[in-house]
Amino acid sequence: MEMKFEKNTFRKRLSSMLAVDFKRAFTMPLFYIMMAISLVIPILILVMVTMMDGSVSVNPQTGVETVMEGFDSVWQIIGTSTADASAAGTAGGMSITSMCNINMMYFAIAVFVAMFVSEDFRSGYAKNLFTVREKKNDYVISKIAISFVVGALMLIMFFIGSMIGGKVAGLPFDLGSVTAGNVVMSILSKIFLVSIFVSIFVLASVIAKQKLWLSILLSLGIGMLFFTMVPIITPLNATIVNALLCLIGGGMFSAGIGVGAYFVLKKTNIV
Amino acid sequence: MNAIEIKNLTKNYGEKQALSGLNMTVPVGSIYGFIGENGSGKSTTEKIICGLIHKTSGDVKIYGKPHTDIDTRASVGVLIEEPGCYKNYSVWNNLMLQATNLRLKNKADEVRKVLQLVRMEGAAGNKFKNCSLGMKQRIGIAMALLGNPKLLVLDEPINGLDADGMRIMREVLKDVTKNGCTVLVSSHILGELEKVATHYGIIRHGKMICEMTAEELENSCPTFVALQTKDMKKTKEVLKDKFKRVEEDEQKEYLRVYDAENPEQVVKYLYDNKIIVNEIRTDKIGLEEYYINLMNDKEAK
Repeated sequence: MEMKFEKNTFRKRLSSMLAVDFKRAFTMPLFYIMMAISLVIPILILVMVTMMDGSVSVNPQTGVETVMEGFDSVWQIIGTSTADASAAGTAGGMSITSMCNINMMYFAIAVFVAMFVSEDFRSGYAKNLFTVREKKNDYVISKIAISFVVGALMLIMFFIGSMIGGKVAGLPFDLGSVTAGNVVMSILSKIFLVSIFVSIFVLASVIAKQKLWLSILLSLGIGMLFFTMVPIITPLNATIVNALLCLIGGGMFSAGIGVGAYFVLKKTNIV
Repeated sequence: MNAIEIKNLTKNYGEKQALSGLNMTVPVGSIYGFIGENGSGKSTTEKIICGLIHKTSGDVKIYGKPHTDIDTRASVGVLIEEPGCYKNYSVWNNLMLQATNLRLKNKADEVRKVLQLVRMEGAAGNKFKNCSLGMKQRIGIAMALLGNPKLLVLDEPINGLDADGMRIMREVLKDVTKNGCTVLVSSHILGELEKVATHYGIIRHGKMICEMTAEELENSCPTFVALQTKDMKKTKEVLKDKFKRVEEDEQKEYLRVYDAENPEQVVKYLYDNKIIVNEIRTDKIGLEEYYINLMNDKEAK
């Protein structure tokens, strides 16, 4: 007796996996928490830093005075232009504005991806997923794609929060030497860079499987190595070249790392 | 063709050998009771069949194709260890997610159908984490049944089920095989397994020690006359003079006479020896006892 089985093509597998992940990502409370955090953080940063702008704190032991420097414009929380960055570099200072900006979101994305992926393994749902899908490439592609969308949304929410925060704090929206086009390209470049980070986070998460702590640790650890390149290749005065570089580089990089994640899943036991 | 065919399957976990040359044949349409002690390799075998862990060597085929075949594996339903459900999702959402995973066309209808099968319609809105152990098992079974799989792999599905749950489980298994599905089910509750299984495989230390059909088991399980008297010790001595095999049962409540022609023969013989029989019946050893005897024999060897 010959049993007939429906052809389970890559397209079918990928579409069903994307549908599962899409449903999961957008019904997870964590997604909404992350969106809220992405929206609120820039408002808090802009308002609080502006409130403390110019305040002087004195170290009681050394007597050294530190003057709190605030944001000169709203756009500083999105990025700094290469000219400003090199000026800050020669001055040797590390102001709060260079640390508290949109780039922090890559770490928040790491937390989301780690929880998103590890929940599959911790809940045991991975058994259902991988029993019916021997090839794991659809799983990896779907995880990277959905995490990319969520990461991009987080950056967009941060941008919206920055605009609200800037308005509340009364900061100038003056673009100065950069144009609106540069800001758009900078944001686009950052969004394209998300693909690099999420692929790293997905790889870390499939290595760690149900160990969420290891997944977060690996994600943050490896992510940190790439973090320093973000302000360099996505400055506020970014052009289409930066955006294209991030798009092509991000695509290639995430494909490469995705292959790595696929092999990890293929070669290791699921449960 | 067989639903599952395993040849010389081995699986090593470092130094430890979980499976050592396992051979197994599960016929199409059967309910295959997979029996063995804890750590004998049942779950490992099932996980390998479902592609959740890698084999060290050997050959595993599902419906004549390698178990890694994408199309064949897409029609395998699974419940291994705990049900794979997101604990913060409702029962309904978990099943709908699985229906999406399986690309079912009428998702809501299919989910409703399996919930009805396991009598869990009323709990569809409950969060999975708030369900009892028995309810979780039923949900796990419902999940495995989604999409009418051609092969069901169930690891200890009866665990945590109450009497009603076990009855439902039996009905479900019988129903699905009518539709051409093959079931591989492992369980320690042999009495329950015996009520549904059509085939058995007994595994020990990672090796299949015995495979048989329910009929073969029936034929190899001897019948006996079980009886109770006031003085069991004296009765046993008297019976031993006439019958070759007289044994006490495990609970030492009944005497078993294996080579008696019928209960009347035993009653008459005991009456002649002035022993009154309180209770007497013809009985047969079940799967559980057969399994224990087999294990004891292997241990002794």
